[in-house]
Amino acid sequence: MAWTQWLRVRALFRRERFTKKLDSEIQFHLEQQIAENMAAGMSREEARSAAMKTFGNATAVKEAAWESWGWTRLEQLAQDMRYALRQLRKSPGFTATAVLTLALGIGANAAIFTLVNSVLMNNLPVADPKTLIRVGDTNDCCVSSGTRDRGDYSLFSTEIYERIKKTMPEFESVAAMQAGFAYRPVIARLDGSQENPRSVMGEFVSGNYFQTFGLRPQAGRPISDADDSKGAPMVAVMSYEMWKRNYRGEASILGKTFWINTKAVTLIGIAPAGFYGDRLSSTPPDFYLPIQSMPVLANAPYVYQPAVSWLYIIGRVKPGTNLAVVQEKVSAIVKHSMQETQKFTSDDDKKNLEKAHVVLTPGGAGIQDLREQYGSNLHLLMGVSGLVLLIACANIANLLLVRGIRRKTELSLRSALGAARARIVRQLLTESVVLAGVGGVAGLALAYAGTKMLLALVFPGAQSVPIDASPSGAVLAFAFGLSLVTGILFGVAPAWIAAQTDPSDALRSGARNMATGASLLQRGLVVLQAALSLVLLVGAGLFSQSLNKLQGTDLKLEAKNRYIVHMNPQAAGYTQAQLEALYRTIEQRFHALPGVKEVGISLYTPMEDNNWGTGVQVQGLPHSNSDASVVKVSSEYFDSVGTHVVMGRGVGVQDSATAPTVAVVNETFVKDIFPPGSNPIGRHFGAAGPESTGDFEIVGVVEDTVYTTARWKDHRMYFIPIMQRPASSKEPIERDESLYAGALVVATQAPMNNMEELARKMLAEINPNLAVVRFQTFDEQIADRFNEERMVARLTALFGGLALLLATIGLYGVTAYGVARRASEIGIRMALGAQRTGVIAMVMRGAMTQTAIGLVIGVPAALLCVRFVESQLYEVKGVDFRVLVVSVLALVVATSLAGLIPARRAASTDPARTLSAE
Amino acid sequence: MGKPNDLVQGTLDLLILKTIELEPKHGWAIGKRIQQISCEVLQVQQGSLYPALNRLERKGWIKAKWAETETGRQARFYSLTASGRVQLGKEAANWDRLSAAINLVMQKS
Repeated sequence: MAWTQWLRVRALFRRERFTKKLDSEIQFHLEQQIAENMAAGMSREEARSAAMKTFGNATAVKEAAWESWGWTRLEQLAQDMRYALRQLRKSPGFTATAVLTLALGIGANAAIFTLVNSVLMNNLPVADPKTLIRVGDTNDCCVSSGTRDRGDYSLFSTEIYERIKKTMPEFESVAAMQAGFAYRPVIARLDGSQENPRSVMGEFVSGNYFQTFGLRPQAGRPISDADDSKGAPMVAVMSYEMWKRNYRGEASILGKTFWINTKAVTLIGIAPAGFYGDRLSSTPPDFYLPIQSMPVLANAPYVYQPAVSWLYIIGRVKPGTNLAVVQEKVSAIVKHSMQETQKFTSDDDKKNLEKAHVVLTPGGAGIQDLREQYGSNLHLLMGVSGLVLLIACANIANLLLVRGIRRKTELSLRSALGAARARIVRQLLTESVVLAGVGGVAGLALAYAGTKMLLALVFPGAQSVPIDASPSGAVLAFAFGLSLVTGILFGVAPAWIAAQTDPSDALRSGARNMATGASLLQRGLVVLQAALSLVLLVGAGLFSQSLNKLQGTDLKLEAKNRYIVHMNPQAAGYTQAQLEALYRTIEQRFHALPGVKEVGISLYTPMEDNNWGTGVQVQGLPHSNSDASVVKVSSEYFDSVGTHVVMGRGVGVQDSATAPTVAVVNETFVKDIFPPGSNPIGRHFGAAGPESTGDFEIVGVVEDTVYTTARWKDHRMYFIPIMQRPASSKEPIERDESLYAGALVVATQAPMNNMEELARKMLAEINPNLAVVRFQTFDEQIADRFNEERMVARLTALFGGLALLLATIGLYGVTAYGVARRASEIGIRMALGAQRTGVIAMVMRGAMTQTAIGLVIGVPAALLCVRFVESQLYEVKGVDFRVLVVSVLALVVATSLAGLIPARRAASTDPARTLSAE
Repeated sequence: MGKPNDLVQGTLDLLILKTIELEPKHGWAIGKRIQQISCEVLQVQQGSLYPALNRLERKGWIKAKWAETETGRQARFYSLTASGRVQLGKEAANWDRLSAAINLVMQKS
């Protein structure tokens, strides 16, 4: 059979040769016949004509011979395609509108869905992700102690992890990983190279991390359990990304020494290509390091403290294991460990301990903090883009309906000339499919660009986001399928109806149809579009209002001409005892720069993704169980960020490590904790407990500068001098990480564009290992905190505008079509004395009626839909009147324009011409 | 020339296969042969001969080759393939049954 298939294919491509061959065969046949006829006594002429007569119609024979190869159907298809393309080229306006509509609809959806797919659905690129189990169900981060009210734990101590690993044979393999590595970058430099020490991401992981995920390294070997045992030489695995980016993928780098946080570490392997760690993040790890090396490398005091939880756990259970049993056993381990290693005295803690348990969750997607962060917004955007697609489909439907009806005459004519009904329908089907195909391809291009744009919006400034912008197969199939169904449904239905009618009937009346314009279905589609786009416009308005409110929040700080330099003295190798001198040096060096006004040093700064909190109890007040955020600051810090002191004094140079311990609190702290009217100055507070409540004396009150997020406007905060420690603290100073400043704030008289360069140079001069972790202007840092809200506001606005555009095109199409159909009627009206304005009004009335019905449906729908997004809005409750008015106005103006153009065309109808055309 | 007898639908294939069973023949010779053997009773319509040859070739029952005739002319010679031989056997058996059945009916009534 393969042979005959081959013959068929060959025949298809060689019709010309086939015909030639057949020709010579027929020629031969005729000659034989002529020879025979002549032998029978005919003259040459007689013999020839007799032979021809016997043979019959040679062309028909050739056609029949060709058809017996069964290729005509395919040829017809090719013919249909050519014809379809010619038809589409013939009406460029229709084609462009349809293709653009499809492209926008498909592009927007494919882009959003690609993002949703990567963030919400994709598994980690590891072996058999479905069998991975995560111990825990929340995204608590990063280092914590004490009990949880809800009793479910997701963050564990090294001690608990080791207990699970040792005592639970149910796990084939169970790995642990640092929860908050993104907040603890490391400083790395290749030994013997010219490169500057740079701040990179390093994640501390258990020895079986790579084995648990079933990963084979790209080069070298993975970290092993032996590397993670006490006393083992320090080793690291580098990410494939960093290997390619910074070391051009050279194998010679293996076995070399890296100075990580000033300690020598041997590079033993490269992680597999495409592996971005155990979670999707815009700052994936550059180095994987064994947990065992963390106390030395990161100087983290808590690694082996049973009371401190800092690890996430992901494992693989043996096949057939009952997960409920595993969950019970792990819960028991957690409870026992807490009971045995920690003392809980308060009633709350005891109650919480009783509730202690873990919940096992699927671990194939890793730690899903991004999912939690973006989940609701992505679902919202998916819904919005779905609505846009619906509007686009309505548009396509309308366009095709109009076109199908307009072509009724043409189809009738073809039918009258003998074209088979099925052939006509197939022709139209081909046309719709070709149109959908072209739109789909354009949509893909748009989707690719759109996804890139979305990624840039979601992860601004990220060096490498492990999300592929090319749409997945499922996305493509969905988008193409949808456009095909729309095309087929609305392209063929009118064609079929047209083909059903008696050709003679259609031919008679087709040319001058007196029908009343667009059908109910068409107008219904336009109404639907208007209503949907109103809903989207209102939504977009609410989200930008929410963003405006958020951005308009009085943050009570000064961002102008301020630069934030994040640094990491701990990673640079400084001990706590060396810090005071370092801070003085930094202050002096930066002050020496011309134009620098203030140099503030602090643990962290306003409006950044960081927060340190403690419980607080004021001496002499009843037990209140309050907590507050704390920032450790230098003497110029308040001025550098623009926080005003409203009572008492700020932190001064005199507040050194050895001076009496003092604190400055914010206004909300005073308002929440002190009875009204009392003077907080001179009062003492500290952590709850008789020894510690006297730790800090309040010397001043500052206004409520906003930290962490603009949504935390009234947040209790207190500030203590950077080198001071609670008087009652028994913790050795080597364990106090709060002494390490994380940021430097430089306030200047005028903008200084070279500040980043200066800061890097200045710090490197003090110590080459003092690498800049992140440099931003204060404004940039603040703007970053609104990224997500800005993304949602921009995208909803984009989609709202798109919806409005599509609805406008839809209304224009239907109105223009109606006007064209009623040309003769309008001509007669005008001949009978109708005024131009009257005609315009008549057409406009039709268009505006549809808009009005759209509004009647859309306004209540918008009011209803707001409920679903209210939780994502900031200080916006219900639909704001102004937003509603603006949205309605936008729709009315756009649709008026859409109606006015055909209305004016109708009014310029020349009655004489219309009538003579009859 | 009298009106040729219409061939029973499907029998042309059988006749072609039978005609070239022993040796390859070109189109004209096939038509001529059928006419001769049937004592001029069966007239193969030239218009249906070539489509039929193409159809049989497509089904893989016959194959075609350019070769020289006795007079030194180039012509397309058709010959049976292995599967064509099997097909001929089947169709001949079918024909036998059918014609026997028709004969029976004709004799009894």
